[in-house]
Amino acid sequence: MRLKISLPFVFLLWLVTNLAYAAVEVTDDSGQLVHLAKPAQRIISLSPHLTENLFATGAGDLIVGTVEYSDYPAAAKQIPLIGGYNQLDIEGILALEPDLILAWHSGNPLAQVERLAGLGIPVYYSEPRSLAGVSHELRQLGRLTGREATAEQAAQAFDAGAEKLKKRYAQQREVRVFYQVWEQPLITLNGEHLISEGLSLCGGVNVFADLKQLVPVISREAVLEQDPEVIMGGGIKEGEGEKDPAWLIHWQKFTAMQAVKANKLYFIPPSLVQRPTPRFLEGTQIMCDKLQQARNH
Amino acid sequence: MPFKLLPRLLVLFCLSLLILVLGLLLGSVNLPLEAIVSVLSGQGAPLHKMLILELRLPRVLAAFATGGLLAVAGALMQVLLRNPLADPYILGLSGGAAVAALLTMLAGLGVFWVSSAAFTGALLSTFLVFGLAYGSGQSSATRLLLTGVVVASGWGALISFILATSQAQQLPGMLYWLMGDLSHAPNPLIPWVVLLVVLCLLIPLGRTLNVLARGALQAAALGVSVQKVELLIFGLAALLTAIAVTLAGSIGFVGLIVPHLMRMLFGYDQRILLPASALAGGSLLVLADTLARIIIAPQQLPVGVITAMLGVPVFLLLLYRSNR
Repeated sequence: MRLKISLPFVFLLWLVTNLAYAAVEVTDDSGQLVHLAKPAQRIISLSPHLTENLFATGAGDLIVGTVEYSDYPAAAKQIPLIGGYNQLDIEGILALEPDLILAWHSGNPLAQVERLAGLGIPVYYSEPRSLAGVSHELRQLGRLTGREATAEQAAQAFDAGAEKLKKRYAQQREVRVFYQVWEQPLITLNGEHLISEGLSLCGGVNVFADLKQLVPVISREAVLEQDPEVIMGGGIKEGEGEKDPAWLIHWQKFTAMQAVKANKLYFIPPSLVQRPTPRFLEGTQIMCDKLQQARNH
Repeated sequence: MPFKLLPRLLVLFCLSLLILVLGLLLGSVNLPLEAIVSVLSGQGAPLHKMLILELRLPRVLAAFATGGLLAVAGALMQVLLRNPLADPYILGLSGGAAVAALLTMLAGLGVFWVSSAAFTGALLSTFLVFGLAYGSGQSSATRLLLTGVVVASGWGALISFILATSQAQQLPGMLYWLMGDLSHAPNPLIPWVVLLVVLCLLIPLGRTLNVLARGALQAAALGVSVQKVELLIFGLAALLTAIAVTLAGSIGFVGLIVPHLMRMLFGYDQRILLPASALAGGSLLVLADTLARIIIAPQQLPVGVITAMLGVPVFLLLLYRSNR
């Protein structure tokens, strides 16, 4: 039998494949234009937060390689590793034949990423620093992978969740908060940090919002001088529970502070707030609950 | 005893006291002198009390002890190795402490464990170097120096390995430890006691040290049992350094430069050089730590950054003037 291929059919086929694999152009967080001939099919994610966001947009199955500590959701743990976020295995990445690399601008070694870009692999730099940045990233990832619909859903759910929290706590009394990121050295964050934005959503005021550095090392004296109403922070170790984390014990002896006197020291699970992903809202919800607890105390 | 140098030593002592008071006065919150007086006499506002008694006094005392320990240890190492480039860390002691401390940080353990590990690591490294250098019986300063330097490079490689493979959020803590940081120094009582006891022990030995500094052969010819004295010096220097490292991480520069500085001002007699080094080392570190606390307050710098910035110009100036 002779296979008949009509011209209109060929045209239709061409049209269909081109619609499905339309060229993609998005601007990344470093301001560079990322151009893909077709939506990405083999993605390398160079940061745990990017892996998490890809899964949130329903494109987790496209990741062929990622970095250590990509531990959420559980399926992410099955993805082959290509090094740590700060130490990339260039050969391992090339061997996976990716058609898109998602890089973390402030975390990855730029020289190594630039090298990969120089080899012709498209690189998208991510640096979400705000709540709006998270939903923006979800939408961008949707465009890059051709999964716009699920990504849009995820982004809208995130925006709606943030809006809900904002509405609920907008009328509440403001609470002055010291947020402790790390114990030794003593590290906090300024007003431009995502966590600080989450705090203000709950009606919390970061006492060190005006510092210039994003995550500054500060003196204990400065905290005493600010005398915040609430002290919040994560544990030193992942999975360390609310049960007397080390940083909490350190504050106990400063009994003249109002936060210590009224025992308003709260533990925030670091895994929920340290990544700019949809899970950040869960962490924000916990911060809001603690602040409410402090108000009612 | 060179009594004519005692007035100079007295001036240094008064200067040290002044710097200690300065360290109490300055910080992210500036206190008036009356506040300190009233707190020290048992009164004062709760905030001032907390600032001075809980934070500044322990920290200033810890800084002074650390500086003093390092400077004396450095002076001893320079006598022991008869090498002007010797410092307390040259035999790999801080490297051993650092590896142990970073490993406990990697495991996520608290401040107490980090300090204990640092002390253990320092002693372990000391025994390792000692065993390798003296194990075969005969030894010399050169052999000890070489062993120490090579062991130190080994520790250095391990430190780089730990830094390269650890998580991002743990890095600031590790780097601060490596640069030297006094914000979590434990109770300074033991370091002070050790410093004073060791000084009291060494000053009567001063003549022997003076002879030894001129060379092992001359010392032996003059009837010094070189091996024994060297062992004692090595052990004491290691103990002093281990305690300093436990207090504040590896603070560089003080142990190398302060003894040289004091030699320019006080000459070569160890009986006056050692106490002078203790005072000057302590003062330098208190001054550096105070600056580290206030330069970009409320933000903090690691004290190690400031020590060198203060010490280098002073040292170069003195070196330049002593040459003319």
